[in-house]
Formats: sequence, structure tokens, C-alpha cells
Amino acid sequence: MISILSVPKSIVVAILAGFGRGCMAFSRHVGQISVLIVRIVMAILQGGVSIRMVFAQAYEQGIGSLPLVLVTAVLSGIVTSQQGGYQFSSSVPLYVLGSVVTSSVVLELGPVMTAFVLIGRVGARITAEIGTMAVSEQVDALVSLGRDPVPYLAAPRVIAGMIVTPVLVGVANAVGVLTGLVSARATMGLGPEGFLYGARTYWHSWDLFYSLTKALVFGFMIPVISTHMGLITHGGAEGVGRNTTTSVVFMIITVLVVDATFPPLFLN
Amino acid sequence: MTDEVTIAYEEVYKRFDAPVLSGVSLSVMRGETISILGTSGTGKSVLLKTTIGLITPDRGDVKIEGESVYHSSRTGIRDLRRTVRYVFQYAALFDSLNIHDNVAMGLDPETISGLDKKTLLDRIAKSLEDVNLDPRKVLAKLPAELSGGMRKRVGLARAIVGEPRIILYDEPVTGLDPVNSATVNQLIMSIAERTKVTSIVVTHDVAGALEMSHRVALLDNGKLRFVGSPEEFRRSDDPLVMAFADRDAAARAALKLIEHEIGDEDDEPGSAHAVSIGV
Repeated sequence: MISILSVPKSIVVAILAGFGRGCMAFSRHVGQISVLIVRIVMAILQGGVSIRMVFAQAYEQGIGSLPLVLVTAVLSGIVTSQQGGYQFSSSVPLYVLGSVVTSSVVLELGPVMTAFVLIGRVGARITAEIGTMAVSEQVDALVSLGRDPVPYLAAPRVIAGMIVTPVLVGVANAVGVLTGLVSARATMGLGPEGFLYGARTYWHSWDLFYSLTKALVFGFMIPVISTHMGLITHGGAEGVGRNTTTSVVFMIITVLVVDATFPPLFLN
Repeated sequence: MTDEVTIAYEEVYKRFDAPVLSGVSLSVMRGETISILGTSGTGKSVLLKTTIGLITPDRGDVKIEGESVYHSSRTGIRDLRRTVRYVFQYAALFDSLNIHDNVAMGLDPETISGLDKKTLLDRIAKSLEDVNLDPRKVLAKLPAELSGGMRKRVGLARAIVGEPRIILYDEPVTGLDPVNSATVNQLIMSIAERTKVTSIVVTHDVAGALEMSHRVALLDNGKLRFVGSPEEFRRSDDPLVMAFADRDAAARAALKLIEHEIGDEDDEPGSAHAVSIGV
């Protein structure tokens, strides 16, 4: 067995230094994001956000993401229905599948898969767009022209995300359950009556509230993180690429952490 | 030009990985055009950005019309910024806005909301005409549809549309051909003459700087090495000023520097050249 004492000192120091640097970078990001959130809230409260820009962002984020959200929802519904049916066919009454598909889609797959679509389609775009503005001095130009980048760039994107994401999740939930129903009928012979009976038997109205609340949090965090990563971009095209990648990683981790935090907080 | 100080840099220090500005003090008079020269990386653009708070100095202060940029309230800084416009190196036009909206950004939101559409359009068109652009041809275009020279001129139009008292130019002719460089320099001069605006021009174009400026400053290693009139600049016996003042001198200075560096290497005891001579 290799003793820890036999590991060269330089490697231990390098590992500790790397860990320290990581902690510092994480703390810095958390601090900067907190300040950004406060400034966004202030901008909204002071009424300094252009409604026109919020609508433009909502259209871009919502209508632009809808096709991919629909594809993801359809596939989620089919896969859940098929896998559930495969496991339940021998021992559990098949109508329970209606509850499994509905709960899986509404509580988990609808919000999380939609969040992943928004990370890839909206979050990455926001970071790249604002990052390019930062490295080409457009953000500095805004400041020099007396415009605060927070109400101008960040707040409209965040408000739009908070409006659009719950709507998209609602659509994804409905489409996912519907395709689960169609799939169950087509391949397992479970009729709509049986499917809906199962879904109703175990349904809690709270589940929808839970799903949409999760969507609201995702719709807030994705634009906040992506805007923050865009605003701190430096180092030309390479910096834009680096920050966009980092931003996507941060957003995925945040969505997964929030997702893991929700059940103990709201389902017990 | 008057004797009244409009911009005062007071012992400005800034350090990134290494010191960039090491105690720069400079007063710029109302209506004056001053050019700041220096080799790349000497902190010219950093100094310019400290003027409106785009970069905060580690020490020292910058005062505009007697008011500190760094000790003012948020509203105070916003008001100070209204008197100053910054022309960026690559124009920094907003990609998603057409030229009309880009130039309109040079006006305060309050001013825009106080103007009817026709008056706003006239004002934007006038500022585009002032920089030799045909408004009918460019107003609806996006920045990506214009050439580099035209983009720079739109940047100038955005700077002058709000009738500022101070304009800061960050390398306004970088990346332009000689014809477009001359046009932009001419525009800077005519804007200064017509509007009596105070101008600070950071540039590598020595001939243009000497032609358009009341004074020229040379920044070297984070400090001001020379400040004086173009005539004093031409007559200076400082080797670096001489190197900037004419190309032949620059070439000779570069040659001298190379010879000096080779000489240093030769003197090193372990160098191959020294060893071979020793043998």
C-alpha cells in the first residue's frame, strides 16, 4: 500500500493549491452573481427595464425554443411510457402506468429536460452574445454612454426567462403526458380511460405547482448565470469560447443541484 | 483653448499583473486637443479609460470640470459621463442595432424622449453628415454592412450627436488605410474647431497627432516622459521623442537598441560568443 507520506510534497502542494484556487473562483462567482441579482431586482423595482426588450427576449427564448422543447417532451413521454410498461406488465396493474408517466413527466422530466434545452439554446447564446459585446468593447460603450448594462442587457433576459420557462414547462408536461398516453395505447393496449384513471388516482394538484415553481427557478438561474458569464468575458474570441463552455457547465450543475434540492424541501 | 482646466489626472496609478500607470499627472485645458503617444502596452488606453471610470485607478484621482470621477455619487458620475463621449478603437457599435439607433444611443434617454421622431431623425442625420456619411444610405443599415472606415465615422457621429464638452478618442485611425486615416484626423480637427470640444486622442499616428493637437504627450513605462507643443516635440533631444518624431530616427533607435542588446549578450560570461572570443 502506498503511504500518503510517500507522495512527493510538490504534488500535495499542487493539489491543495488547485483546490484553493477552485474555491476562490467559486466564491468569486457566487459573490458576483449575488451582486448581479441584487442589481437586477433594483432595476426591476425602479422600472428601468424596457418592456419592448423583455418582449423581444421572451419571443426569442420562447418561440425559438418551442420546437426543440416539443421534440424533447414527445421523446420523454414515449420513453417513460415504454420503460414503465415494460416493468409493470407482469406484476402491477397497467393503469398505474398513467400515474408513473404523469408523475415522472410533471415532477422531473418536463422541467429538467426543458431546462437542458434552454441551457443549450438560450443560456449558451446569451453568454456568447454578451461575451462578444464585452470583448468588442460594446459593454464599455454602453457604460460610457451612461447606460447601465444591468437593466439594459441582464434584466430583460432574466424577466423573459422567468415568464417563458414555466410556460414551456407547462407545454412540455402536457405534450409529454399526451405522448405517453398515445404510446401506451399503441404498444401496450392501455386505453386512454385506463391511463387517465391511473393518472387521476395518484395525482396531487401540488405536483403541478411544484413543477412550475421549479421551472420558475430554472428560468431565473439560467439567464442570470449566462449573463454573468458574458459580462465577465475577456480575452477575445478564445475568451468567449471559454466562458460559454464554463457557463454551460455552471448552468447544468446549478439545474441538477436545484433539482436535487426540491424534493426534500417540497415533497416531504 | 482657454486656461481653464477641464480634465485633471492627479497621480494616477494602475497595476494589472505589472504596473501600467505609475503616477500620471496631466491637466487638459478647455477646448484643447491633446494627443497621447507611446509604444504599445504603455497604458495610453488605460489612462483614457480612467477618465470616465471604465477602469478604476488603484491610487490617484481624475477630475472633470473640478469634480472627482471616483468620489462622486452614482448620479454624479452619470452626469459627468453625459459631458464626455468616448470613441472606441473599433467603434464599438452595437451589432444588433441599425445605424439610426446606434447614433441615437449617443443621446441621453431623457433627450430622446423629449424629441419627436422627425427632430430626432434630423439630429441623427446632421451628425452623420458632419462625418461625411450620407444618412439616406446608412441609416437603416447594420454595422456589419459598413466598411471599417465608415464604422469609425459612425462612432464619431455617435460621439458628437449629444454635443458633449469632452471627446476621448482611443486610437481612432488604427486599422485604417492612409486615406481613411487622413479623413478621420481631419474630422477630429473640424469637430474640435467647430464645437470647441476638449479632445484627448490616444494614437500611434504621430504625423496626425502633430498636425491636429495643441499639445502632445508621450507616455513611457507608465509615466509621462514628454508633454509639450508639436513644435517642442519636433525639437526635443529626448531619444524616445526623436524616435517617435521621425521614421529615420525610429529606425536608427531600433538599430541601436538591437546592437545594444547584442552587446549585452556578448558581455555575458557564459554566452557562446564570449566563450569563442575567450578561446
